[in-house]
Amino acid sequence: MLDLLEDRTANDERVQAVRLADLEREEKTRRNAVRFIRAMWIVVAMLLLFNSSQLVTVVNGFGVGPLQDAVVALSTTWNEQMEKNGLTKPVAIIRATVERWRSTDWTELKASIAPQTPRREGAIELRGALGDAKG
Amino acid sequence: MLFPTLEFGIFFLIVFTVGWGLRALPEPRKYFLVGASYLFYGWWDWRFTALLFATTLINYLGGLALGSLARPGLRKLVVGITVAVDLGVLAFFKYYGFFLTSLDTLLTTLGLHRDLPFMEIILPIGISFFTFQGISYVVDVYRGHVAAERSLLDVMLFKSFFPQLVAGPIVRAADFIPQLHAPARLTREHVAVGTVLVLTGLAKKMVIANYLATDLVDPIFFDPTAVGALDLLIGIYGYAVQIYCDFSGYSDIAIGVAALLGYRFRENFDQPYRAASLQDFWRRWHISLSSWLRDYLYIPLGGSRYGEAKTYRNLFLTMFLGGVWHGAAWTFVFWGSFHGAMLGIERFVKSKLDELAPPNADEEGPLTRLGNFAQHVVGVIWTFHFVCFAWIFFRADSFGTARDYLKGLGDWTGPHDHVTPFIVGLIVLGMLFQFTPRNLGRELAVTIRALPSPLLGLLLGAGIIAIWAVAPEGVAPFIYFQF
Repeated sequence: MLDLLEDRTANDERVQAVRLADLEREEKTRRNAVRFIRAMWIVVAMLLLFNSSQLVTVVNGFGVGPLQDAVVALSTTWNEQMEKNGLTKPVAIIRATVERWRSTDWTELKASIAPQTPRREGAIELRGALGDAKG
Repeated sequence: MLFPTLEFGIFFLIVFTVGWGLRALPEPRKYFLVGASYLFYGWWDWRFTALLFATTLINYLGGLALGSLARPGLRKLVVGITVAVDLGVLAFFKYYGFFLTSLDTLLTTLGLHRDLPFMEIILPIGISFFTFQGISYVVDVYRGHVAAERSLLDVMLFKSFFPQLVAGPIVRAADFIPQLHAPARLTREHVAVGTVLVLTGLAKKMVIANYLATDLVDPIFFDPTAVGALDLLIGIYGYAVQIYCDFSGYSDIAIGVAALLGYRFRENFDQPYRAASLQDFWRRWHISLSSWLRDYLYIPLGGSRYGEAKTYRNLFLTMFLGGVWHGAAWTFVFWGSFHGAMLGIERFVKSKLDELAPPNADEEGPLTRLGNFAQHVVGVIWTFHFVCFAWIFFRADSFGTARDYLKGLGDWTGPHDHVTPFIVGLIVLGMLFQFTPRNLGRELAVTIRALPSPLLGLLLGAGIIAIWAVAPEGVAPFIYFQF
């Protein structure tokens, strides 16, 4: 994969072409940097919306002080709002699912993947009941 | 500052934005990156930034002196002094306590007990990595592989660049410094490769390595006598997968972050558990260290140039010192020595087998192909188990723990509460990474190369949130931070 990072224009000998390529490269670099900065801000927005509980955990480690208290209060309120609007649900569902997998033991796993055999107890009970009636 | 934290996320957002904002001004950009790297390093303990600077200055001055001197004797003296200072600093911080404790034990055993000058020494994080980088710079200048760098700033950035500073990969001056002389550029490929590597690295570390550590490896190695043989057996496999995912995960993130800042590092892992021999394993595991040991230790010792006996000696010494590099403990000494001895035995057996049945490239019948395949499969299984056996000593905090571990493997009557379907699933998943097509990551990078920024952001955001949601609570430090 790292071969994708190789500079394929490094051996170009024509000076004018190299200059043009440099300008083009500079423009491409600018565009790609802006592209990734935009992508990172989208990540920040997504984390604030869907993973707000993590924000509360982080700001709680800031220590004590008027500014810190304000930040903690703000992030707690923000997290409550996100919870109220159901945005923290996807993360909670993933966590719960993983926790369920984590606590599954071999017996439960066997039971969950074993083929479902038709229940016969009902018929046996019924037969038994008929027998009793006859007896 | 650990990679998989919000602090690092904010730090990287600022470094990326300002760093690329300064792209038209190369010198201020380098000052900024050096400042960011020192901040990153000082986050643990700011006092050690002085140590980092001092060793960098020594390497820089050593390089300058080598660049201006012509007499071979003087050049040898300068490189010797510089390497000795580097190794002296490493020895003091890393091995002083170990040396005195071992000496104390020896003297007490011999009935010659003395009061020794013990000191509380804090191990500076990443010292083994940046010391090896410094040595490689000076030796490369001495050998003429790289020109002596006139700019202190460039040497500082080479040695302190934050993605590789604390746990590698060990970057070579000949690879990195020329990149500092060229204009910084960011292509779609850099962005795609960086995104793929950061996401895969986070998944390996935060999900697979952290769950295996907390649910299996840590409790088992804490007291191997308290668990049954099945737990112990799966515990070794678990540790093999954990250390791979932990360290290769760190390397992936480091290489990815460097790519996003426009720099290229070499690959550090290449599916090591698919190796069919120990020699092959060391070509795939921690490649930057094994190639460093080869170029700066094995080859200067004579390599394989002076006969079989000296080759075995050099192999053993190289691996022995590789073990010592990892940590100041006898368990690491054993680990390195074991690998050294086994590499020698493997080389001997292979040469004897080749004498008995010379490999013949002309024979390409179906039976030969089947035989070669079977030999390869046996080689992979055999090598993996050799490596796993050695990992017991690498992970155990003492020989006593390692002995208990090995003893417990013979007793199949104990409980096995740690081997759950979830843990087995993670081990299988971790092992699957070893046998996926080699260019899978490349294909992923090519696929996302053309994505517009909103889609790229959604992909990166969804990936990070999913990893965060699946991973256990808290952030465990990377295993290789202790080295």
